[in-house]
Amino acid sequence: MKARRKKRSGANTSLTFNNKMFAFMIPALAMFLIFWIYPLLQLFYYSVTNFNGINYNYEFVGMKNFVKIFDNGTILNSIGITLIYAAVTVVLSNILGLALAIVLNTKIRFKGFFRTASYFPALFSAIVVGFIWSYVYMPSSGMIASLINLFGGNGASFNPLGNFHTALFAIALVEVWKGFGTTMIIYLAGLQTVDESVLEAGRIDGCNEWQLTRLVKLPMISSTITINVVLSVINGLKAFDYSFIMTNGGPGKSTKTLMFQIYEIAFTDQKMGRASAFSVVSFAVIIAITIVMLIFMNKREVEV
Amino acid sequence: MKGKKVTAILCAGMMAAGMLAGCGGASGSDAKASSGDAVAGGSVLTGSQASGDKYDHQAIENTKENITITMMVSGVAQGTDFETQSLPDLVHKKWPNVTLEVTKLPDDNYYTSLKTKLASGECPDIILTQPMYAGSNSCYALAEAGYLASLNDLDYLSNMPDLSAVTYDGNVVTATTGVSILGTYYNKDLFSKAGITEEPKTWDEFLADCKKLKDAGIQPIVMGDKDQYVMQFGLYQIAANEIYSKNPKYDDELRTGDTSFTDKDTWDKVLTMYKQLYDEGYIDASQSLGYGASQAIQDFIDGKAAMTFDGSFNAAALTATGEGGDFERGYFPIPSESGEQYTATCLAAGYSIYAKSKYVDQCKEIFDYWMNGDNEIWDAQLATGRVIPLYGKGADSIPNYDLFKPFIDLTNEGKGFHWCNQAWPAGTETTMEEMFSEMIGGQGTTVDDITKGMQDKFEDLLDD
Amino acid sequence: MARNRKSDREKEQYMKMSPKVLILYIVIIAFCILVIAPLVIVFSSSLRRPDNQASPLHLFIEFSGASYIRAWTQMNFPVELLNSFMTTGIAVLVIVFFSTMAAWPIGRIKTKVARFFYYFFISGLIIPSQMVIVPIAQTFNRFNIPNTRFTPVIMFITCSLPFSVFLFSGFMKSVPAEIEESAYMDGASLWKRFSTVVFPLLKPATVSVVITQGMWIWNDYFYPMVFISKQAQYSLPVGMLQFLGDKENPAQWNVLFAACVLCALPLIVIFMLLQKQFINGIAAGAVKG
Repeated sequence: MKARRKKRSGANTSLTFNNKMFAFMIPALAMFLIFWIYPLLQLFYYSVTNFNGINYNYEFVGMKNFVKIFDNGTILNSIGITLIYAAVTVVLSNILGLALAIVLNTKIRFKGFFRTASYFPALFSAIVVGFIWSYVYMPSSGMIASLINLFGGNGASFNPLGNFHTALFAIALVEVWKGFGTTMIIYLAGLQTVDESVLEAGRIDGCNEWQLTRLVKLPMISSTITINVVLSVINGLKAFDYSFIMTNGGPGKSTKTLMFQIYEIAFTDQKMGRASAFSVVSFAVIIAITIVMLIFMNKREVEV
Repeated sequence: MKGKKVTAILCAGMMAAGMLAGCGGASGSDAKASSGDAVAGGSVLTGSQASGDKYDHQAIENTKENITITMMVSGVAQGTDFETQSLPDLVHKKWPNVTLEVTKLPDDNYYTSLKTKLASGECPDIILTQPMYAGSNSCYALAEAGYLASLNDLDYLSNMPDLSAVTYDGNVVTATTGVSILGTYYNKDLFSKAGITEEPKTWDEFLADCKKLKDAGIQPIVMGDKDQYVMQFGLYQIAANEIYSKNPKYDDELRTGDTSFTDKDTWDKVLTMYKQLYDEGYIDASQSLGYGASQAIQDFIDGKAAMTFDGSFNAAALTATGEGGDFERGYFPIPSESGEQYTATCLAAGYSIYAKSKYVDQCKEIFDYWMNGDNEIWDAQLATGRVIPLYGKGADSIPNYDLFKPFIDLTNEGKGFHWCNQAWPAGTETTMEEMFSEMIGGQGTTVDDITKGMQDKFEDLLDD
Repeated sequence: MARNRKSDREKEQYMKMSPKVLILYIVIIAFCILVIAPLVIVFSSSLRRPDNQASPLHLFIEFSGASYIRAWTQMNFPVELLNSFMTTGIAVLVIVFFSTMAAWPIGRIKTKVARFFYYFFISGLIIPSQMVIVPIAQTFNRFNIPNTRFTPVIMFITCSLPFSVFLFSGFMKSVPAEIEESAYMDGASLWKRFSTVVFPLLKPATVSVVITQGMWIWNDYFYPMVFISKQAQYSLPVGMLQFLGDKENPAQWNVLFAACVLCALPLIVIFMLLQKQFINGIAAGAVKG
């Protein structure tokens, strides 16, 4: 017990868990430092140079790259797009996942089948998913267009990826399709930890199922909710795959997420220095959002 | 990404043209190759030295052990693929101790991969590069950074008329054997169905023909604008007519500041003309923006549209038989306002040798054999239909030669102009495509916004 | 009413049919159909000959292996499958080993230093790899690490560390420390304590790491795409990339779909066999962590 007592000071006085244990951290730490932290520091360095990714005779240019990316508005455009993308995926995959988990947590038949069916898309590689949905969304002869034709509509005018207002939502939906099953499974596990006797007490008090869900179950799984939300926010902010595979960032700039824009500046415009500056700013944005989320999460956990 | 796609396409075109780069022209590489030979072969040094500037034409024979040469190109492997199958097989047949390992990557991945391989010093011996500044594999950019071996001592070069677009600082750095064309493919059956008897000679006739087609209930032009790079296919043809024919130095002067994208009657005119096709519904923007490039090709070969702007590099796909059975194709450059004919035809992408390759001379030997214009590799490459060689056996009997002939003639008359993106820093055309999509997608962007955006991006990209 | 229902439930496994329940069933069945419809069409089309361009909505009108045969050879399936297994297997093995070792001090020692390392590692969770890929490639160059089939493995391990350390150290907190204390009293060395006492206790979290990270590594195309240049070393997703330029060529859809099925098949089979472990592992990963 002594060992587990929390220490105010930084010193480790535990005999069982002494500082020699830190030696076990060495392999992981070494890899992490060499292949992650070190390249990351280099990235910070490049952000103040005019490195083009090919020619290693580059120069120090100060804050110019940062001024540029704010100057022409590309970064604000990408942040906006990324936030919308993240918001859509977070909200939809959590609502779908939670609703489905609540239903599957009742005594319903074929539970296993429903669970498997909703989780199935998560097994596919993003590249395969991108191919499949390129087909689903294809105008004229794609899956949805063919269905529209079948019911007498005009499938040729169904063009979600070609429309400035819908393309971003269309690829966000693909992310939801692939991801909500995982969210659902996590919610299901959370719901299963809810004590049946608490629910029973609620029923005795005359709550109906909806009230039980809203007043008892949801508060009791609030930590699961925050975990799911944080995971999907992080995932949404990293959005790259479907812009890369399905839309190439288009039409126009409408699906150029942060990661896609960085990739494009680095590899099309050949401005590694500026791409690095872009990364540094994105990094700050992502960290800021994550910290806010973590504070939120900790607060919720205290409440529970 | 669009830029990359174009680059890739260019590359595909260049491969088609089938040039190879020689190895180890640079003195440094020569020295390296020689010492390598000395170790391997023993008595080679004298030969090399005797030939002075020449590379070791017996490099492979002098290498006694088995060697593996790596090669990376962009594109999509099809059927019996030339680069990934025929080429390695034929090289191995000619030199049993040489294994050529070819990797073919889709365009975007090719650029990413190339960049990281250069960064990690693991670049393949042979890579696909594009003329001038086009794309992430621009031969100028790579040569400037010292990655490309000089190919000046390749024997095949004497076959090529003008290699300035792949010559950096006096050194030819990309081995290319032919040209790539941008033009307008059309369906002769649909043209005659709409009562059109001959190819349009002026821009006004072209518009009138589009109208006839539309009135006959035929979609005049199909484009796959979801892959935004295809916009270049039409725009560069118009630019050749309306800008470069009047000022061939336009792009050079952009760099010196003597011209600007915002100059009156240059790009504003080109963009306005191209936009007309969308405004009149000759290209259906609401459809094209969600159509991929290959879907547009499919619509064309299925007979669902009368025309499409595309390059010679896609001729095989565009002349395939579609759902509606076969029909006769034609290929013409978009006519100019004046009626004078010009074409956007330029050197095709080609192959370069990585300057630090261990096998520079060996690669050069392969290139010279391949590109001498009369051997099995040459034949196999011509058979792909994706190269338009300027010399060599069978150059006038390549698939679809009839379609290309008028363009080649125009080029020989000095009426062929490079593709704009080759002269611009990579990324300028991306802005053009993006803003053009915004305009036709109803985002309120104007032609003046686009020219200004292009100028800003151009200056921004040049500014280090 | 509530009370009655409770006793009903105890007797019966399932909900009784009522209009409300029926609607629930209809909704959930419709939803599931919607979700798996694209997959059904993909599977049905993959069973057609490559040149069969009938509307894919006519399900299962033809059963032919021709598209599969073409996809199989075009992808060089057996080689890619083996590469995928090797890459994933080695990476996951090392990840479990390294991250349990790292998580042990982080989860057990209650000092600011340990806390710092915890946050240090999990900060890696939020940085996407696209951002740092060029400096990473240069790092390999600087340390003279050649591009081999193991280069992506190094990056898979590194990128998995944040999540795995996060999960293991979180899980460690739910394992009573008393067991270790008694081992300590018995005079066991650190290594022995780790390998015989701690590691076995982490089994549920290990399953979770193996499944979540294994799935990610199996499906990832980015690192292999960047670091592998020889076709003989391609993993399945990189093989799939070869179809990218062709993705909208309708004539090729059936072959592409066959390739999609082939690419996903190994994971589907493993999922079917180990469904319970998958579901529990994923859930444990999030809830316990």
